[in-house]
Amino acid sequence: MLECENLAKSFEKDLFGGFNLKLNPGEIVAITGPSGCGKTTLLRCICGLEELDSGKIILSGNDITAIAAEERGIGLIFQKPVLYPHLNVEGNLKLASKHGDIAAALSEVNLTGFETRNIGTLSGGEGQRVSLARALLAKPSVLLLDEPFSSLDVELSDKLVNDVRAILKERNCPAILVTHNRNIADSFADSVISLK
Amino acid sequence: MTNKYVAYTAVILYSLLIIVPLWLALDRLIWVAGFDILGWIGSLDENFISQGVLEFTIIQATLSVILTLAIGIPIAWQLGRYNWPFQSLIKSLLTMPFVMPSIVAAMGFMSIIGENGLDIRSDRSTWFATLIIAHAWFNLSLVIRFCEPVLSTLDPHMEEQLRLLPSGKTMWGRLRHLWIPLLMPSIVAAACMTFVFSFTSFALVEWITLGENTLESMMADIGSSAGIKGVMVSKNEVILGASIIQFTILLLSLWLMSWLQQRRQNLLPIASENIVKTNNKKGWFIVLPAIIFAILPLLAVLISSFRIRETDASGSRQYWSTEGWEYAFTATNSLPSAWDALQNSLGYALITLAVALPLGWMLAQTIRDLEQVKPRLARMLDVFTMLPFAVSSVMIGLGVMLGMIRINAEFFYSFWLTPVIAHVMITTPFVVRIILPALRSLDPTFDDCARTLGMSKTKRFFLIKIPMLRGSLLISSIFILAMSMGEFGASWVVTRNSDWTTLPIIIDSIRAIPYNNPMTVPAANAVSSVLMIIALVLFVSTEKFRPKRDGGMF
Repeated sequence: MLECENLAKSFEKDLFGGFNLKLNPGEIVAITGPSGCGKTTLLRCICGLEELDSGKIILSGNDITAIAAEERGIGLIFQKPVLYPHLNVEGNLKLASKHGDIAAALSEVNLTGFETRNIGTLSGGEGQRVSLARALLAKPSVLLLDEPFSSLDVELSDKLVNDVRAILKERNCPAILVTHNRNIADSFADSVISLK
Repeated sequence: MTNKYVAYTAVILYSLLIIVPLWLALDRLIWVAGFDILGWIGSLDENFISQGVLEFTIIQATLSVILTLAIGIPIAWQLGRYNWPFQSLIKSLLTMPFVMPSIVAAMGFMSIIGENGLDIRSDRSTWFATLIIAHAWFNLSLVIRFCEPVLSTLDPHMEEQLRLLPSGKTMWGRLRHLWIPLLMPSIVAAACMTFVFSFTSFALVEWITLGENTLESMMADIGSSAGIKGVMVSKNEVILGASIIQFTILLLSLWLMSWLQQRRQNLLPIASENIVKTNNKKGWFIVLPAIIFAILPLLAVLISSFRIRETDASGSRQYWSTEGWEYAFTATNSLPSAWDALQNSLGYALITLAVALPLGWMLAQTIRDLEQVKPRLARMLDVFTMLPFAVSSVMIGLGVMLGMIRINAEFFYSFWLTPVIAHVMITTPFVVRIILPALRSLDPTFDDCARTLGMSKTKRFFLIKIPMLRGSLLISSIFILAMSMGEFGASWVVTRNSDWTTLPIIIDSIRAIPYNNPMTVPAANAVSSVLMIIALVLFVSTEKFRPKRDGGMF
């Protein structure tokens, strides 16, 4: 499904080098490591927001290393929900799919009836659920999650970890979670990779 | 960088439209006067046209700053520290004068002190005081906009803490140790801007004084006969000398203001927006007269437009009538009608908008893109786009006029769009200054996220970027329209053809008709009222989109 071969990236210091990963359909992998080790940059490289120094990314047999982020079909959920304030919940979801079933997408993340809600009125957890619904509406081949649970309180984080995992498994959507929290990594992913 | 073609287009267009005319004008003046910088500056003192002008300019600008601060700081204090019913309406009323075209302000004060009003203009001390008061009226909003946000959003714990310390026990102690250090950058920045605007004041000086000149009004008066080889060479020297002095003083003031603005921005983050304020009934003694002061000249314009004063051998009589409006909106042999002027103004404003908005936006985007990869080049371009701020509107008008004469004089006299060049030069730097902070505050993750959702560049531009910059784009657009429609100095210099007459120019022309015509004052005030209403509507529509704590002049 997704293969990362010898990915390397450095800014002022070497972030990661020779990184390899094989992700099968429906598989969820977590990458952990201390702050500044390059976890987020790795995700940004995989989805195409950053350029790699070297290495190859293969998705469903195609080399996508040189393809622009918007053409790759890889979704990303940011650490803090990125919701466009000039649009309501429905407007934000429609950015991912104009004719998608918004009500079903919201119901999947337990936000039934939130279509007309103003973005400013959403709590952190609700915002992250909207981000997830939107990312899934775009039907990504792979979903990348950049510490999306870190800004939530423990109770809410635990609930969201379980809910998101269940949705991804149900859709057979492969995913990579980046987190510095080993407990979240263990409960969310099928396997954990440690980045140093 | 997102698109180097956008960057190149923006810089080349900007240079062609803004820098080239000024360069050509300079070239033309030097061609006539010869290259002698000290001689140009010395000519200011030697020529009877310019003798005493520099002193008058500096004295009136300095006194205007003192009066503006004296009136503005207590008002800003009241608005910032206490709770007021209809707070935003009061603030709008008090800041409204700044967006009024200067010619409207001139007509307002003329209505109060002129023949149809108190008739006290003939006394030198009266018109001098009126000029200073008019400048204070015009610039009051700068002090309020700069100081009020600092006062209104400062965490109250800071003052409470100081009250419990020995050095903050008295009001003076708190002023000395808290308020003055905090407010000083805002006060001095407002003072700098007030100085710049009073120094380059044209319409108010032209109409309120009796023949006295500032550097700006003198350049406007003598500029029309400059740039002709062998003819009145001394005038070219005077213009060059005055331009150098004016450019240097404006550049220094703007540099100081920009430095202070940065310091001011560093002070603002300590503020809190959730402050419970108390009422202050005694404060009405300051706020109410201030409101009356702000609206009085505008009311005077409107009322005077319906007041006709006829004078004959038996004396004078006054009556109410709409004849002034009818006179203004009917063409005569010597003047086009106000309708024609309105059409010209609207046409020029819309074309200016069509050019200045995309140009300013492209420049701002280029600066923003360069900031991430080549910060030094970005800073240089940033300064380059601010250069027209250091050139007054009359200087810009002279630049366009002399620059175009240098290229093709015949074309200049027949090209209807000539005033647009001046208007674009004046408005584009403002667009850059409004849009650049908005671009800087735009979180790049919005674009990143849209890319991961599969949105193309075009889609991201229309669905994400434009809506997120909507407020700044609207403020810029309205600003361009208001500035272009009210622009007087450059248009006054550039307008060489009655087909180009704009609203401010026709106000000036009607008011210049000798007083024995009873329609002179009411007709000029009728057109001023139209311009005032347009400016008011545009001003009110920007208020909704203005960030709560922007505090700047725009």
